[in-house]
Amino acid sequence: MRPPGVQGAPGDEGLMYIATAALSACGGCENSLLSIGEPLVAFLSEHTISFSSLLLDRHSVSPSDVVLVSGCVRTTEELRLALEIDRTSRKIVAVGSCAVYGGVAGLRGPEPPQDERPDDTLPQVEPVAEPLDSRVAVELYVPGCPPPPRLIFDALKSVVEGYTPLHFDGTVCSDCPRTLPRGRTKSLTLHPGRGHDEDVCLLGKGMLCMGPVTRGGCRAACTSAGAACSGCRGPSDMVLSSQLHSVYSDTVACLARTSRQRPEKVAGQISTMLDILYLYTGGDPETRARAKERVPGD
Amino acid sequence: MIEDPEAGGARDPEVQKVRLYPVTRIEGRGDIEILFTPDQKVIEARFRGLDNRGLEKLVQGLPALRAPTVLARACGTCGTFHQLAACRALEAACGVEVPEAAGTFRELVCWLLLTASHLQTIAYLALPDFALPTSDAAVKNITGIYMVDQETIARLFAAMNAVNESVQCLAGNHFRPAVIVPGGVSAFPGRSERDLALELLEGCSSDLRETMRLAEMLTRRESRIMETGAPLTGHYMASTVEGIPELIGDEISISPFGGGETETVDPVAFIDSVEEHPVPWSGVVPLKVAGVDSTMVGPLARLNHGFGDDTPAAQLESMRCFEQWERPLDRESFFLVALACEAIRGLEKARGLTGELREVSASEKPCAEIEPAAGAGSAVVESPRGLIAHVLEVDDAGRIGSCRIMSPLQFNYTLMNRHLTNVARKNVRGIEVVDADAARLQFAVRSFNPCVPCGTH
Repeated sequence: MRPPGVQGAPGDEGLMYIATAALSACGGCENSLLSIGEPLVAFLSEHTISFSSLLLDRHSVSPSDVVLVSGCVRTTEELRLALEIDRTSRKIVAVGSCAVYGGVAGLRGPEPPQDERPDDTLPQVEPVAEPLDSRVAVELYVPGCPPPPRLIFDALKSVVEGYTPLHFDGTVCSDCPRTLPRGRTKSLTLHPGRGHDEDVCLLGKGMLCMGPVTRGGCRAACTSAGAACSGCRGPSDMVLSSQLHSVYSDTVACLARTSRQRPEKVAGQISTMLDILYLYTGGDPETRARAKERVPGD
Repeated sequence: MIEDPEAGGARDPEVQKVRLYPVTRIEGRGDIEILFTPDQKVIEARFRGLDNRGLEKLVQGLPALRAPTVLARACGTCGTFHQLAACRALEAACGVEVPEAAGTFRELVCWLLLTASHLQTIAYLALPDFALPTSDAAVKNITGIYMVDQETIARLFAAMNAVNESVQCLAGNHFRPAVIVPGGVSAFPGRSERDLALELLEGCSSDLRETMRLAEMLTRRESRIMETGAPLTGHYMASTVEGIPELIGDEISISPFGGGETETVDPVAFIDSVEEHPVPWSGVVPLKVAGVDSTMVGPLARLNHGFGDDTPAAQLESMRCFEQWERPLDRESFFLVALACEAIRGLEKARGLTGELREVSASEKPCAEIEPAAGAGSAVVESPRGLIAHVLEVDDAGRIGSCRIMSPLQFNYTLMNRHLTNVARKNVRGIEVVDADAARLQFAVRSFNPCVPCGTH
């Protein structure tokens, strides 16, 4: 029998207090979670939702066993909320690439997006969009923009029920049904040209696809539909554990191997596209991405 | 929930403020601020968006072809619609024509996503207000309803899952499909995927009809037990073709709630006429159409414009609504039937488009070549929450020079806050705002289906 939850009274064995919160986010992670539908609602019905502004008319943060937090820390109000959750909860799960890496908000480095607000009751925007674990301890990471629903649900259940969650150490390519063409890729572009009507590797056809360097687990949802991987699940274990100690160098090396080009040529071709190599991993990918590549316990 | 006015930062010592934070069961974070006179009469109530994401600046300098991927992150619900708007703006800037079948596939994906989004909104965000209006927070939520009526919720989710699965088999995933690219789509689904999608969609018609009956019954009950307050005033607005709302229309139709002529505007002229009216107290920048005092966009606005005979079931349902409650539907509580009715329309549209897509020959190309060059373009599309517009400027290097996003919450903002003030004046008695009145105000906000991340982008 599991121990009672954080608010649990005798007789409440196994009853866990579950919460969700969104910091600076688009809401895609929460939508992904809610799209699970009946299995999620049935699961939540067996426990207690302690707070969730999306699901529940309760207005304050209260002690919880598990809090799913999406979004990065961008404003003073989000920082206050993150610290309060940290103080009152047992385990925090960082859901989505904004919470895990800083997300697209980290694209432009240390510059507030707009001028200071004239009304001092509005939250102040901080200079840098920070990933969640720069401020609070995170138990589990579920990267993705948004993560597939089943991965979020599995992470939630694993923390509540105490089992090891799914972990994907392969790349997007390991799930991708496309096959490498013969010959070398001549150049890399960001556009599918007149579209893809064959099951041929997108990178092999000359489209900049981040599949070879991106963590798998998404069942290659984008590439199987002919769209290039934009790297939303962050760097794969292979990239992060390589001896080159540089996400950039490893990315170039992997892209070169897959597209059968020399690394120098790949580096030259993507020199004008560096921003988009790190769309989701913030302004400092070499250090930030490396720090949270794995789920604790791996 | 109710804070000391001083902590809210009231600057004018004569004005007292009460803050209701956060507004629950909406996307993103927002609060309601109520301003009182010294003798505790409501001056104004306003919904405030508390985010500030700066996407318009983030995207500047990025390769134009990758901008739609980033702009899709404006919103978790309508992300694909932002992606479509950005692609169309780029295509306009570069003078590219999208292959007809690719346009069909784009619309198909978007109608499916609209349907799924409406069903999700009904289940999680709207239904608690209608099904358990006076219950405690511990019960007044999706799990509370599930425990009381498992069958209804199961039916609703079965329809949502069928739609989501059909998106998945057509476009790779349902949570943020990436198939929509500048110039068209990245690839067409195979014949077996199209057949499977059609089969899934055929199977959920009856579940949607049941959801419509539920919405109708709850709306009738709601209008009897709740003080509905003043009717909505201002204008309802949608992208239309010959007066009928479409995802991509060739005109913008603007009609007054109080009755009168419908005005139509060309989409490009419409974008030119949209003015920003920033307020210091919110992260949302209200938008106004020149010469129009306030507007409502979204499901209720589209329903009021009426549905065409290409979607007979939705047209029939809309006529039933108009017979019961008179057109235009001008009460906030009609929001639920508008969602249910439009979910039926989305399904009918999607079934028709899937059928069309099955006829696409293998030789048709899914995408047109596109080479970003200096220029500017704009696009207007309908999304689950209402009108979205993007204006993109591309520089000589093929990068984004400037970007402007217009979102549904911004278009709704003036009308919504005016309505909120009316509701507050009618219900709130003094700065000790009781829970029932706070719930009433939040209901008024939810009925506009606000998406704060989208509105503050």
